[in-house]
Amino acid sequence: MSAALRPLLIVVVLVLALAPFGLPPFAMTLLTEALILGLFAMSLDLMFGYTRLVSFGHAAAYGLGAYASGWLLLHTGMPLLFAVFGAALLTGVVAIGIGWMCTLATGVSFSMLTLAFAQLLYAISFKWTSVTGGSDGLAGIPRTPGPFGFAALTSKIGFYYLVLACLVGAFLLCFALVRSPFGAVLRGIRENEAKTIALGYNTRLYKIAVVAVAYALGGLAGALYAPFAGFANTELLFWLLSGQVLIMVIVGGSGTLVGPILGAAFFMLMEHQLSSWTEAWALYFGLIFIAFVLFAPQGIWGLATGRLQMGRLRRASGP
Amino acid sequence: MHRAPDVALLDLDGVTRRYGALVALDQVAMRVEEGEVRAVIGPNGAGKTTLFNVITGTVKPTAGLIRFADQAITGLPSHQICRLGISRTFQITALFPEMSARENARLAAQARHPRRWQPFAGARIFKEAQALADAALEQLGLSGIADRPAGLLSHGDQRLLEVAMAMAQQPRVLLLDEPTQGLSVEETAQAVDTLARFLQASRMTVLLVEHDMEVVFRLAHRITVLHRGAVIADGAPDEVKADARVQDAYLGGLD
Repeated sequence: MSAALRPLLIVVVLVLALAPFGLPPFAMTLLTEALILGLFAMSLDLMFGYTRLVSFGHAAAYGLGAYASGWLLLHTGMPLLFAVFGAALLTGVVAIGIGWMCTLATGVSFSMLTLAFAQLLYAISFKWTSVTGGSDGLAGIPRTPGPFGFAALTSKIGFYYLVLACLVGAFLLCFALVRSPFGAVLRGIRENEAKTIALGYNTRLYKIAVVAVAYALGGLAGALYAPFAGFANTELLFWLLSGQVLIMVIVGGSGTLVGPILGAAFFMLMEHQLSSWTEAWALYFGLIFIAFVLFAPQGIWGLATGRLQMGRLRRASGP
Repeated sequence: MHRAPDVALLDLDGVTRRYGALVALDQVAMRVEEGEVRAVIGPNGAGKTTLFNVITGTVKPTAGLIRFADQAITGLPSHQICRLGISRTFQITALFPEMSARENARLAAQARHPRRWQPFAGARIFKEAQALADAALEQLGLSGIADRPAGLLSHGDQRLLEVAMAMAQQPRVLLLDEPTQGLSVEETAQAVDTLARFLQASRMTVLLVEHDMEVVFRLAHRITVLHRGAVIADGAPDEVKADARVQDAYLGGLD
């Protein structure tokens, strides 16, 4: 991201911070969900966009985070903030194990292993009824108010600000990460892993680390979703969601962090609009997805920034 | 201070690598002294690249011992061997095409930085790695094109960039696998000029695999000849040139 885009992003964050004063409650609900999904898609971008680790099972992170925070809120009386961050941390720790196993393979086999682990968790969510509620899931998840005056976060608007703060914080973390020496190695793995190994990097450690961070942030998104929706169910671990989040990343523009957030918002908007016209909305969204892959592989953010840069060039070279 | 002449920096003893019935390396013994430019030559399939792979740990030897700076490195994982000070280039150009030449070399240097895992040392790591990278690019005459994406450089510059990346790691031994592979005659002449100048100035210890005999005789102090995985000659360029077995091997008469 060039320095010229920084003011733009600050403006966007300010607009989002002011949104509750202008938008009706219904729109706030949609916006909150879009930000949660945006966080989820951005977390996958660390793996998919920056490291070329294609995960077919990122729903594992989302679902695990959702079930963990839901369970903590339902059964331990833990305050909202602790439950959410505790669940994200737990997801990250579990992901070290998942990452360790999946990185035994590369390429398509890696992707299949991520899918396998997600499906494993999906199966567990059905069978481990005493904890997960089986096919009913966890319902009636409360937003338990916490100490230190964090009670304000449990209201509808307060929760929106919690989500926004998590998204902005996670974005800054990812941004620092991809521009650090660690991020340079990730790009090396993306462009030529064999060469990265030959330079003396233990690439597997880097891959496990990025999987852990991506899952922890994906888990954070899920951990926010459970108290947002008030429930957690098996769909949050289903492969369909893994596919949808990949689509959000690609349509938004992979390897940009901002793009996948836009992709998630675009996906939600399309789902909302198209499904009010037709039941076969997924078919039409599929066509849109194909069009993006064929004609705009750089995604929404790539198109937008490309246009900006062209404009600046034209102005610079103009009369 | 000179090292005792019998102490080699890189010392191979009885190194063998079999693939089923095929013997890719057959009891290879070889000693490379510090500051020496050693060429390994031989017909196609003689085991030259396998030799590199065995030294750098990407392929484990079936038998034999490899010592580097008085330390056994046989069977160590390749990133550890690399960290001890052995850097290599590849027969087929291997770069990060979307990164600039500077970023390529910086990533190479970063691999040796003692603080590379520290979370808040980023700016310092980048700065120090970039200094090493820029020095290496300068040595190979690439400063002028350092900001271009590596994938857009001419083939000759890409080959030199690989050498610069290896040098940015401040290795003790540099392994060059056919540095002029795929270059046109003019490109080869230019690249060899640059390499010759660089080798003379840096006094690097180099192990060089090369097909082009002119390049070999121009750059190497000493030549080892491999044929069907075994060393059949070892000596100064003139001795090797005159060796009857070598001539037979290249004419295909040796059985």
